[in-house]
Amino acid sequence: MAAVASGRCVGVRCRLCLMLTGQWTGLCGKAPSRFYSGSATLPKIEGANVTGIEEVVIPKKKTWDKVAVLQALASTVNRDSTAAPYAFQDDPYLIPTSSVESRSFLLAKKSGANAAKFIINSYPKYFQKDTAEPHIPCLMPEYFEPQIEGISEAALKERIKLKKVRASVDMFDQLLQAGTAVSLETSNSLLDLLCYYGDQEPSADNHFHQSEKSEELEEAIEENNEKSKKAGHQFGVTWRAKNNAERIFALMLEKNSHSYCTMIRGMVKHRALVQALNLYTELLNNRLHADVYTFNALIEATALSMNEKLEDKWNKILELLKEMAAQKVKPNLQTFNTILKCLRRFYSFGRLPALQTFREMKAIGIEPSLATYHYIIQLFYQHENPSKGSSLIIYDIMNELKGKKFSPKDPDDDMFFQSAMRVCSVLRDLELAYQVHGLLNTGDNWKFIGPDHRRNFYYSKFFSLLCLMEQIDVTLKWYKDLIPSVFLPRSQTLIDLLQALDVANRLEVIPQIWKDSKEYGHSFRNALKEEILMLMARDRHPPELQVAFADCAADIRSTYESQDARQTAPDWPANPLNYIAVLFLRGGRTQEAWKMLGLFRKHNKIPGNELLDEFMDSAKASNNPAQAIEIVKLASAFSLPVCEGLAQRVMADFVISQEQKEALGDLTSLTSDSDSDSDIGEGK
Amino acid sequence: MFPRVSAIIPLRLLSPFPLCPGGSEAPAAAIVRLGAPHGTVRTKNEVHRYFGTNNVICNKKDEQSAPTRDISKETETQESVKENTKKDLLGIIKGMRVELSTAKVQTTRPPNRRQLKSIEATTGRLHKVPEDAPKKRTKSLSPELVAAAAAVADVLPFDKQMTKSELLRQLQQHEEVSKAQKDGERAKISVSNIISDMKIAKSSTARVSTRPVHQIQFDEGSNDYVGQKKTNDLKKSLRKNMLKGKRLNIFDLKAVTEEAPETETAPSLWDVEFAKQLAEVNEQPLQNGFEEMIQWTKEGKLWEFPINNEADQLGFLHMAAVEFLTARKSKD
Repeated sequence: MAAVASGRCVGVRCRLCLMLTGQWTGLCGKAPSRFYSGSATLPKIEGANVTGIEEVVIPKKKTWDKVAVLQALASTVNRDSTAAPYAFQDDPYLIPTSSVESRSFLLAKKSGANAAKFIINSYPKYFQKDTAEPHIPCLMPEYFEPQIEGISEAALKERIKLKKVRASVDMFDQLLQAGTAVSLETSNSLLDLLCYYGDQEPSADNHFHQSEKSEELEEAIEENNEKSKKAGHQFGVTWRAKNNAERIFALMLEKNSHSYCTMIRGMVKHRALVQALNLYTELLNNRLHADVYTFNALIEATALSMNEKLEDKWNKILELLKEMAAQKVKPNLQTFNTILKCLRRFYSFGRLPALQTFREMKAIGIEPSLATYHYIIQLFYQHENPSKGSSLIIYDIMNELKGKKFSPKDPDDDMFFQSAMRVCSVLRDLELAYQVHGLLNTGDNWKFIGPDHRRNFYYSKFFSLLCLMEQIDVTLKWYKDLIPSVFLPRSQTLIDLLQALDVANRLEVIPQIWKDSKEYGHSFRNALKEEILMLMARDRHPPELQVAFADCAADIRSTYESQDARQTAPDWPANPLNYIAVLFLRGGRTQEAWKMLGLFRKHNKIPGNELLDEFMDSAKASNNPAQAIEIVKLASAFSLPVCEGLAQRVMADFVISQEQKEALGDLTSLTSDSDSDSDIGEGK
Repeated sequence: MFPRVSAIIPLRLLSPFPLCPGGSEAPAAAIVRLGAPHGTVRTKNEVHRYFGTNNVICNKKDEQSAPTRDISKETETQESVKENTKKDLLGIIKGMRVELSTAKVQTTRPPNRRQLKSIEATTGRLHKVPEDAPKKRTKSLSPELVAAAAAVADVLPFDKQMTKSELLRQLQQHEEVSKAQKDGERAKISVSNIISDMKIAKSSTARVSTRPVHQIQFDEGSNDYVGQKKTNDLKKSLRKNMLKGKRLNIFDLKAVTEEAPETETAPSLWDVEFAKQLAEVNEQPLQNGFEEMIQWTKEGKLWEFPINNEADQLGFLHMAAVEFLTARKSKD
């Protein structure tokens, strides 16, 4: 290397090179001799270099994408399991601690950007100054108002392009009144607009328009919601009879198959199923042909129609497919996915048709997408009844999908992983879950995990399954890896983890879990806290561990206290009181333990017998008769049957004064008195 | 011997999966091949298996080879030998392909099944058969049989003597059995008995039903009724169920793949919106700073790296420089 480097030295530095190369003689062999020739033209020759090459192979020029360098850099960065996801601001206050927070933070970020865009677009005249070099179009205001005035087809086209439904319809009507013929193409694109949006303005998200139009839209949506609740349509937009689309369709002098097709698709989208099927008949009567998208819509219409037997529906769908084949319309992925989607409603009847459909798809060479498998899984695992025995088809599916990489082909592709993991969870099969997770981590498949809530669902199920079935060390590794960088656990997930720790007898990890629980916003989850306390208090442990548990219990107690402070009617649950007291005792925090006893009376909760015994032991250990008597007082206050036993124990084990004896006697007699009183009462 | 066999009429056995129940009811048929495993090494056990002796599992080869031989033996005992057909036959064996008739199977099926059963029964005893027994037995076999057996033994890559003696013994047994049958005894053969006798290497056979109704559904319905204890074997055996089986048979691969002349139309609103929906499917939040920069570069907010001096992006700098100079000039 030194030889080459020095070879590049230009003229002046040659001498220096010669001196340097003198030292490298031993290593570089031939090179030094070349330098000693002292020629000023050496560098060039050195550049051409090496002795033996006869032929120069010119490599092909590589063209690099403009983001190639960045992509290469991005590929070197792995997920940091100790950090929050990149999308959040790296500030302790702004890092979310629960999934609810996470969602609201992301929404806040997005809505901020939307608000800024809205302002810019609403007041474009204030944002004309363009200082960016080069010009950045996406930061400039966008124009949504139609520029072309007057009544012309060009104006109509512009309004259609800007997706102004009302304006387009008005323009169309004006053109017709003026007697101008509107071309078929423009009419068709108007129909497209009307049918796609169901004769409503596109939703306000698209264009940030806070005009009266969006208010009308909201009213319309509310009306339609009531009508279409059963249909369950996304936006609640239903196809009104005699709406503009139908009217314009009727007005059109010339209609081609596109016109019919778009009408049918619009009707199906907005749940005017019968009309869609009727229009299809009309299309056939006019000897026109439907395209594959229309057929897909018709299949959906057939499957969704009410009041028909499932077999009849299936037969009709088959007939539609046969018509498709007869008319030489090529089915696409959506055709089969639509069929499978609709078959889900057929419950168990749909299983055989679904498999047949799937095989048909493979036979004609259409590659199934993740959505396909999702529908199949839903169909076969819809109503899980593990006692009856589950389908094995998930294993087929996972074998089929091994190692495959996917690209988006269907809007439902992001549903696959969560349904697959749900099935693994139901079947309690960890190996299968690993397979699913492996598929998720293949190539870019991780992007199909879907939005937040689906990702959380997937990982919650996965982690719960791990807690249930996997060895504790591996589970803890997954815990460190996934939480909190991939998902934030719900309290149930943490409870599952605690139970796993219990089974594996690793209770010493519990204080750490409590610390984490606080971080994830579960400080006030009673179920979780009780579980933690119960596990800690159940058995005796070596002293250091006991101390750690006592600290943890103290922490939990403080959460209860702060909860108390908030509520008007403070209420401690009974079990935690017991557990905390016992943990304090065992952990050596006797003073605080005695304070806890006071809380029993305050919140009117009954202490457990074992607890009282332990307190008695502690009193004995510290040789404090006063405390012992306190215990008996407490027991009698609650009229516990164990009071007698305790009193006797005090008398036996402790050295007490006469007064104390009498006091004890009173206490016990009180209880027996109350018994006798009740007897007397009954006697009367 | 194999004369009948040479009358080539196709014979088809029931296709793959439920071999065992299917062979009975439906007109069983199979394209039978005495396929020569050229160069494969087989152990003694495999010899037995090849000749359909030991594990008469739902194994295609066994089933194929067993009926073949049985059929051939049966025809031999029933018919007289023909010289010319025998020569054809030896040629066929050399070519290792035999096609048999459907009809034959139907008429000869009961004996076949019985044969299977008896073969099963005698499995264990194969090795223990004393050596002189074969000699004794071959006496009652016709010379053509013996010659054919020798030819088969020659072609197969096993130990020739062993093979030959095995074959002959089988033939002999078959003779005895068929004689006994001729004497009027008709054993009641129920398919289910045979199936239950058959050793199946999988755990549960309770599910296997021989009725055609269940049989058809077996492919599809087996997914439903699996008990909690599923063994790995069972899983593997059902693995291919999803892909194999009936399809709708509505579309034809050729018709679908041929390129229809498509008119180029601009994408309609439906297509555009669908494409937008698809793009949203695998949208995920950005994972690191580089991805954010990639996003910005694509949107045009960030310069491309490495900076390309020839690109328009720096053209404005020239313009700005010009403006600066003119501004200076105007000041002056």
